Amino acid sequence: MNPVQRFFRRYVFSVVGLLGLLVVTNMAVLVILMGVSEVQTPTDTFQITDFCDHLTGSGDSWQADSDALALLDRDQCWAMVLNPAGQTVWEYQMPADLPRSYTAAQVAQFSRWYLADWPVTVWGLEDGSLAVVGRPRGSMAKYYVAVERDYWDFLVLLACAIFYANILLVVVLFLHSARRVEKAMGPILNAIRSLADGKPVRLREDGELAEINASLNRAAAYITQKDNTRAEWIRGISHDIRTPLSVMLGYASELEESGELPDWARQRAGSIRRQTERLTRLVADLNLTTRLEYALRPIARQRLDGAELARQAVSEVLNEGLEDSYSITFTEEVPGAHLEVAADPALMDRMLLNLLRNCIRHNPGGCAISVTAAPCREGGCLFVIADDGCGVSAAQLNSLNRGTPLAGKEADSLGEHGLGLRIVRQIVRAHKGRLTFGATVPHGLTVSIWIGGR
Amino acid sequence: MNQDRTILIVDDEAELREMVRGIFARAGYGRVVTAGSGPEALSLCASARPDLVILDVMMPGMDGFEVLRELRRTSAVPVLMLTARSEAEDKFTGFESGADDYLAKPFLPRELLFRAQAILRRTGRAAGRSVRLAAAEVDLENASVRRGDQTFPLTAKELQLFRKLYENAGRIVTTGALCETVCGPVWQGYESTLATHIRHLREKMEANPSRPVSIVTVKGLGYRLELPRGDGR
Repeated sequence: MNPVQRFFRRYVFSVVGLLGLLVVTNMAVLVILMGVSEVQTPTDTFQITDFCDHLTGSGDSWQADSDALALLDRDQCWAMVLNPAGQTVWEYQMPADLPRSYTAAQVAQFSRWYLADWPVTVWGLEDGSLAVVGRPRGSMAKYYVAVERDYWDFLVLLACAIFYANILLVVVLFLHSARRVEKAMGPILNAIRSLADGKPVRLREDGELAEINASLNRAAAYITQKDNTRAEWIRGISHDIRTPLSVMLGYASELEESGELPDWARQRAGSIRRQTERLTRLVADLNLTTRLEYALRPIARQRLDGAELARQAVSEVLNEGLEDSYSITFTEEVPGAHLEVAADPALMDRMLLNLLRNCIRHNPGGCAISVTAAPCREGGCLFVIADDGCGVSAAQLNSLNRGTPLAGKEADSLGEHGLGLRIVRQIVRAHKGRLTFGATVPHGLTVSIWIGGR
Repeated sequence: MNQDRTILIVDDEAELREMVRGIFARAGYGRVVTAGSGPEALSLCASARPDLVILDVMMPGMDGFEVLRELRRTSAVPVLMLTARSEAEDKFTGFESGADDYLAKPFLPRELLFRAQAILRRTGRAAGRSVRLAAAEVDLENASVRRGDQTFPLTAKELQLFRKLYENAGRIVTTGALCETVCGPVWQGYESTLATHIRHLREKMEANPSRPVSIVTVKGLGYRLELPRGDGR
């Protein structure tokens, strides 16, 4: 799964999770509120039962104590007691315009609705009398609900169904819109990733995000053009510089080998020759590294013999002439084993030569270099190039293995600003191989490279 | 021994032309002629009949590849291409149009001389048809070796191997490169047969085959043909 898909999957999960959390929280709050209201009824609203507790008497004679009257006064209520015949036998602050006698039909009506717009609550007393408390107009809403049980059950079911259907709809709509955003954004995010990796980008310039796509295409084209210009520029310089370098190298070498010149002059000519060769390699390396970086150098893979590749590189260094202070040995770990690698022969040669020359350049006092080609369980070939020279510091070893570029003095100490190693790294990467640096015991540097067989 | 060889150098850069001319002249090549352009090179080829042409690729007007194609209509003269580019595609174009070898600028004089000598040996234009070794003389024409008063014939494969070593005299030739000369690109598993051929070559060419001085083993890498000093190196 690529990062874009991962991002959208996380996004979808988090939103669905949030929805779930919202529902659960609501339910929890509801349950808690219901529980609280069960346990603790509000004390500041008028309760007719409280009032009735303070009402004493029977038949036509009733008294309310001062607590009952205080309760009524607090909520600006009036009260009356009707005897079983519907006559008012006790009253308090009762409006004058209200009748003092009620029929059973009137009692049934006001106990359910209002008494002349006064919201009233009623409570049956022990002997069949009725306590009635009227509360200020507009302070209460009274509704009367009575439905068939089956219909009620159906209503509850319907409410639940609508609730869950809504949640489902929200989730489906959200997933759909997230998918749309992903479809529109996915290519853009992938393109940005490709840009960061230096890969080419080509987006369709239509739809709602056409402008963004077009901008990204322009950015990619600009970067490619810049890269190509730089690569072509370096290629041009490295081409033009070769003829003058040939003349310098030719004459310097001729003077160095001339028997007519004194030793000091020949030594200086030798120095010019060596520096010119170094300059040549530097320019060639710069050209190659640029072309590899911008993928302008195609990788022509062939089936090659790993041991033979190592033999050729070692022979090339030996054929160039090696000072006596250096020695190179080549060993096959399993003699006669066929170590097939799928690689570009010119680049393999370059990789091994760079490493061998690095050993020589890094150890001006001389060293013994050993090259080993070994089989690997996963196929391919493991090249190990080890020297017993001065090696590198632990910090350098660390940054070599991490592949982070070395800065300043550390890079200088590896020679040519690490260009040779950079090329080695690029070649290994282009072949999807592995590169590790280690220390030789007791001193020196060991470089191991694995190149695959397929 | 190269006095009777004619070398033609074609390059538009006068200084480089002059330098290369000096290299061949000092190496004992009897006649070295130079041309600064393609047409001039073609007419010199017809008149001077060189044994080897050193041809630059990048030239104004007619470039090296065009010159080579034109040259190949009438002549089979060996050609060594010099190029400022070192890309694989150049090498391919060079060999496609009939170049015998290819050398990227800048080069060391001894590398140029070595390549030139190798081409001349390969194409049979090197001085003499026989190679003098420490203890024997190899006749490449008749595929035979004369040691003292004895003459040994060389088999076809032995001759191929010896030619490869001779072209690269003084340099290590890897086991793989030698096997490939005899078997082609798929040579794996041929190493022991190669060792047998080398043993046979030594038996014919060395005074003491168990202590070879001409066909020397380079441990782990391959073999090197050592010629007596001053003999074409």
